[in-house]
Amino acid sequence: MALLEVKNVTKVYHAGSAPVLALREISLDLDSGDFVALAGKSGCGKSTLLNLCGAMDFPTSGEVILGGQVTSNLTDAGLTRLRREKVGFIFQSFQLIHTLTAVENVELPLLLAHRSGARAIAAERLRRVEMKEYAHRFPHQLSGGQQQRVAIARALAGNPSLLLADEPTGNLDSATGDTVLTLLRRTAHEFGVAVLTATHSTESAAMFDRIVRMRDGRIAEAAVLL
Amino acid sequence: MKRKTLVVLAVAMIAAAQQWQPALPGYSYEFPRDYFNHPEYQTEWWYYTGNLRAADGHRFGFELTFFRQAVHLPPAAAAAEDVVWRPDELYLAHLALSDIDGGNFYHVERLNRAGPGLAGISLEQRRYWNGNWQVQWNSLASGDQKLQAVCDRFKLVLNLKPEKPPVIHGRNGISRKGAAPGEASHYISFTRIAAEGHLDRNGKSAAVTGLAWMDHEFFTESAAGKVAGWDWFAIQLDNREELMLYRLRNDTGAETPYSSGTYVDAQGKARFLEAGQFSLTPGETWHSPRSGARYPVAWTISVPSLGLQLSERTALKDQELFTERSISPTYWEGAVTYQGQIHDQKVNGVGYLEMTGYRNAIRVSGHTPR
Amino acid sequence: MSFEWLLFLRLILRPLAREPIRTALAIFAVALGVSAVVAIDLAGQAAAGSFHSSLESLAGNSDLQITAPGGLDERLLGKLVQLPYAFQFAPRIESFAFINGKGEAVPFIGLDLIGHAAQREFATDTSAQQANLLSEGYPIWVGQQLHLRAGERVPLLINDTLRTFIVAGILKPEKEKVVERVIVADIGLAQEVTGKLGKLDSIDVRTPQGKPAVDWRTILGSTLPASVSIDPQGARTQEYRKMLAAFRLNLRALSYIALIVGAFLIYNTISISVVRRRNEIGVLRALGGTRRMILGGFLAEALFLAVAGSSAGLLIGRFLAVGAVKLIGNTVQSLYVSSQPAPIHLTLAATITGLGLGLGVSLLAALAPALEASRIAPVEAMARGREEYSLALRSRSVSLWALLLVAVAAILCKLPAVRGRPVFAYIAVVLLIAATAAIIPSAVYLLAGTTHHVLQKLLGMEAMLALRALRGSIGRTSVLTAALATAVAMTTSVGIMVGSFRETVRVWMNHQLQADLYLRPAGSPGADRHPTMDPEIADRIERLPGVAAVDRFRAYRISYDGLPATLAGGESSRVRDSDATTFLPGEDRDAILSKLPTGDYAVVSEPFANEHNVHAGSILQIPLAGAVRRFRVLGIYYDYAAGGGYIILDRRTLLKYLPDPAESNVAVYLKRGVEAGAVRRGIGRVIGGRAVMVFSNGALRRGALQVFDRTFRITYALEAVAVIVAVMGIAGALLAMVIDRRREFALLRFLGASQLQVRGIILCEAGLLGLLANAIGLILGAILSLILIFVINKQSFGWTIQFHWPAALLLTALTGIYAATVLAGLYPARTAVRMNPIEMIHEA
Repeated sequence: MALLEVKNVTKVYHAGSAPVLALREISLDLDSGDFVALAGKSGCGKSTLLNLCGAMDFPTSGEVILGGQVTSNLTDAGLTRLRREKVGFIFQSFQLIHTLTAVENVELPLLLAHRSGARAIAAERLRRVEMKEYAHRFPHQLSGGQQQRVAIARALAGNPSLLLADEPTGNLDSATGDTVLTLLRRTAHEFGVAVLTATHSTESAAMFDRIVRMRDGRIAEAAVLL
Repeated sequence: MKRKTLVVLAVAMIAAAQQWQPALPGYSYEFPRDYFNHPEYQTEWWYYTGNLRAADGHRFGFELTFFRQAVHLPPAAAAAEDVVWRPDELYLAHLALSDIDGGNFYHVERLNRAGPGLAGISLEQRRYWNGNWQVQWNSLASGDQKLQAVCDRFKLVLNLKPEKPPVIHGRNGISRKGAAPGEASHYISFTRIAAEGHLDRNGKSAAVTGLAWMDHEFFTESAAGKVAGWDWFAIQLDNREELMLYRLRNDTGAETPYSSGTYVDAQGKARFLEAGQFSLTPGETWHSPRSGARYPVAWTISVPSLGLQLSERTALKDQELFTERSISPTYWEGAVTYQGQIHDQKVNGVGYLEMTGYRNAIRVSGHTPR
Repeated sequence: MSFEWLLFLRLILRPLAREPIRTALAIFAVALGVSAVVAIDLAGQAAAGSFHSSLESLAGNSDLQITAPGGLDERLLGKLVQLPYAFQFAPRIESFAFINGKGEAVPFIGLDLIGHAAQREFATDTSAQQANLLSEGYPIWVGQQLHLRAGERVPLLINDTLRTFIVAGILKPEKEKVVERVIVADIGLAQEVTGKLGKLDSIDVRTPQGKPAVDWRTILGSTLPASVSIDPQGARTQEYRKMLAAFRLNLRALSYIALIVGAFLIYNTISISVVRRRNEIGVLRALGGTRRMILGGFLAEALFLAVAGSSAGLLIGRFLAVGAVKLIGNTVQSLYVSSQPAPIHLTLAATITGLGLGLGVSLLAALAPALEASRIAPVEAMARGREEYSLALRSRSVSLWALLLVAVAAILCKLPAVRGRPVFAYIAVVLLIAATAAIIPSAVYLLAGTTHHVLQKLLGMEAMLALRALRGSIGRTSVLTAALATAVAMTTSVGIMVGSFRETVRVWMNHQLQADLYLRPAGSPGADRHPTMDPEIADRIERLPGVAAVDRFRAYRISYDGLPATLAGGESSRVRDSDATTFLPGEDRDAILSKLPTGDYAVVSEPFANEHNVHAGSILQIPLAGAVRRFRVLGIYYDYAAGGGYIILDRRTLLKYLPDPAESNVAVYLKRGVEAGAVRRGIGRVIGGRAVMVFSNGALRRGALQVFDRTFRITYALEAVAVIVAVMGIAGALLAMVIDRRREFALLRFLGASQLQVRGIILCEAGLLGLLANAIGLILGAILSLILIFVINKQSFGWTIQFHWPAALLLTALTGIYAATVLAGLYPARTAVRMNPIEMIHEA
């Protein structure tokens, strides 16, 4: 059984009067250690699909099964647990809390989950992304790339099985962006985390195990690269 | 005589059962006591009128009257004897000034009870007063008095010297007004008083001299009285003789037989005139725009036994005392002049004319008095 | 012109419209503040400003008034009416009656209904009928407001006797001067039923035209004895108005506090506005907009809120004034003078004041953030990432300024009152509030730094996040804290003052009230009413077995130096024996009380001494019984009785000049070991059918404290308003904060925060704000209470109040405010939770 199964998922939004068909009958599977890219122009539905995968939203029809559980069937408590234990998010705009230091940002999800030893774990994650020296810096004291690394550390804090990254390199220059993608790949391959990355750039295609191209809410092409 | 005495006794007993005494014949007058208060009688007044002339010839008439009216109190209240503010005796006063040559007439009214010295009639203090209107007797023997009255428009101060002794009107000491016993009053007058003093108006003070007349009546109103009004004349002739005449009218306007008068000769001797001995004929009337009454302001007076034929005129037609909210009735009291003859000699005179009961005349039948 | 208008519409009004709740809260906060000011202004004017002393009911057109302490001999009237001038004199008896022996006192006026002066004032029947009625038992004429019918029989309690009167007629209110709540009787009857036979309380005089008033006073004075005063009509009301001036000022000052709190909130609202629109400001400037436009724009926003709020505040204030008049009127009646409040008039002056203050304060408050906004350079504004409005915390110089303000305030407190009004002290209060507001940012930092570990341990991660958030937006936090702290300080300081006052009065009563039983005529007591009892009562009680001593006390209302005062006589020997009456420190009590009965000596109360600058050894000149008498002051005693100062003579001295032996009240001392019940029954028999009330010592004290509590209700109401304004402001600010940090909250949800946790963070922020504000408010309030007690109260009323912590009251109040603050966070918390994280997170 795959870690993440997306089965024939359609998502319709009602924005104003006209319904918007964001996703049309998408199906997708992900296993541990997969480093997959969702490629496509902006507006093709990448973010929508990521949100469905992370149980931040639910399909209009079809199912998303994460770790054997259908997301639509989960209660709020179940969803909360899912987010704390199974899924990590990374955003284009980093989204660090600017009143907290780096290590405080990283330990935040652990505190929310009432985990003990949060500080130690957070320190370890920072070490993993090579940001240990900057543990007590505030986000506005860090560069874009550094902030994103902290964000990755935070996403990994709870040992999730699935990492969803929404255009993680969008605000970074290409060199820094490569560094981040390398880090993500290592996370996938070394730590067995399934990583699904939405990206609109085609340059870094080679880094991924698989590229799923999307257009107008559909999967246009799913190429497997080895 | 016997019958008369019986009648008197009967009446006296009836009167004693009431609160006040009626005016009955046989009253024994004593002066100066009788110049002052008679609380056994319900109603009393002291009436000063006169014609004055300023140095520049400007003519005035004045009236100052002190009324005392006793009011019936229920026994409970009457028992509270020494309460200062007892409302059982009311002191009403009228003050009027006729500016004859100026053509205007001003009158003021006052109502007080005795209170802590607000008004009163006092033999001890030898005066009558109501607030700051007062007459002070300087000499009980000669009758010299000082009159003073202050109101918001003028102040009048007069020294009064009676030139003749007081006259008691009527017969047997009462002046009859009707048939029943008690329908009468005790009526005293000073018919010729020399007046001199000053009149202060508009910040200016004018010396005035003239002739005054003083009436003093006391009686108890009889329930039987049918008098609707009267016309009263005070006549002071320039031959030093005076007449007092009054004509009573009943409610049809007809003259009653109890009208009477008094003739006072130059020495001060008084002669009673009964109704048949004189005639008073009203002439031209004046219509009051305020009260609607029609007063005859011109009269013809004749007393054949004196060879008297006078016509009365007034230069100021509006001398009516009328107040909206007043307990006094509306009446006309004004300074008048007389012209004619007496004892076949030409004569002129001044005096006062009082006409009452004309306001009600306009009521129902439109009946005008004769 | 239209370009600016368009900008105003799009950039200012539309955003306000998009957040209706927040806008409404801001407007309502201003409205409440203005309404408090307006309500107190109007009610104060009606109850304490325009009122007419009930004693001057039916005064008519007179110009002068003749009075004397203890009344005039009526024979003076007889003399006066005979003066050869066209005066008009109207004698008066002035007293009070209770209908059926209950309820509020009604002025009972005796007039000469027959005399011509009376005939002008009110229309009733003709005098002849009056003369008839006047003899038929006890007729009275009543005002319409008393709702009685002609012919009705009414029992009236006057002094200690209940009698039945007949309503002879209703007074027609033809002229405005007829006060509706009044009973008129003929003067002779009035003298009899009030026990003033042979006396008049006053004679009203209408002077003739022609000469100026002064000359007429001379003419009248030459006829009258030296102990008689001739004053312009309405002088007594003027005296009371003067006395009430300080009271009104204090109320006004209290009402302004609510407005000050509102000012903080406007500051906050505009600041938030500026922060949010940083980008727009930048764009506007980049497109060629001037600094003046930016400044104008934000001032316009403040103006809009202010106009809406002030207008609403005017209407609400007018409405609240009705209730306020009742409360203030109660206080005035109990403490000062029997009077009827004038009708409430929303005058032009009051409208202008209310609107002006609302607009002025709001614009002033908005000035700083608006200026800051106008100084933002275009480039800076368009930069992303720097969202926070950082208050320029040049902490060192700010702290120095704060210290300077405190020093100035301390100096101001030492300055004396200006015409009986503690103006400088009020300025000091404002300075202290400003100083506190200035140091709050430092306090926040300090507090955040020192407590965050503890808090985190106690309350978990929510507290830590909350604390970080508060510290991160120090500007907003400080202003909100300042607003709430001001409201808390006001509540605390007034609460301490009232509590101290109450405790002082309670302790004083312990000393003062030493007798076992107290008697006074029935009917609710009033500061300027002194009904009397038959002297036989005291005499007979004195002879009862079980009674050790009786202290007879008689009081008269007089004027002293243009202010109302009470002249009274008590039995010094009893007072000396019983240990009652405490004198100022340094005065020999025994010596004073022994000397008092030996001659023309007096002791005065502390407020009297303060008001008239009198000390031991001063001479008081009081016109009594035909001449001006001189009394030497032997000492000053503490007194908390209401309504003006007291001059106390020994009873024998008083009787020498005012020989009426009737008492105002009687204190009874029982022999040791005697059972009170039997004596009370004996007293009851002595009293017989008269309306006299007997109080035990305990009951009297309880009654006095009840009156005390009632009179402070208006202050409690004002405090509540200030607190409501502050809490609403916090609710609005928290709502704004939630909206501004929506991405952050969305992120937290992404990170696995439950709804409960998100709510918890916001409630923690509210709670921490509340805690901080309470702590700072408590300290500031304690300091302000010192000023209130030792400066403002002393200068306004002359009382010495001992400081006392009303712990229970404070605890209750602060807990309540704290709870309200946390509850204020509920709605914003709900909003945060209901936001959709997805939409939030993807906003650019």
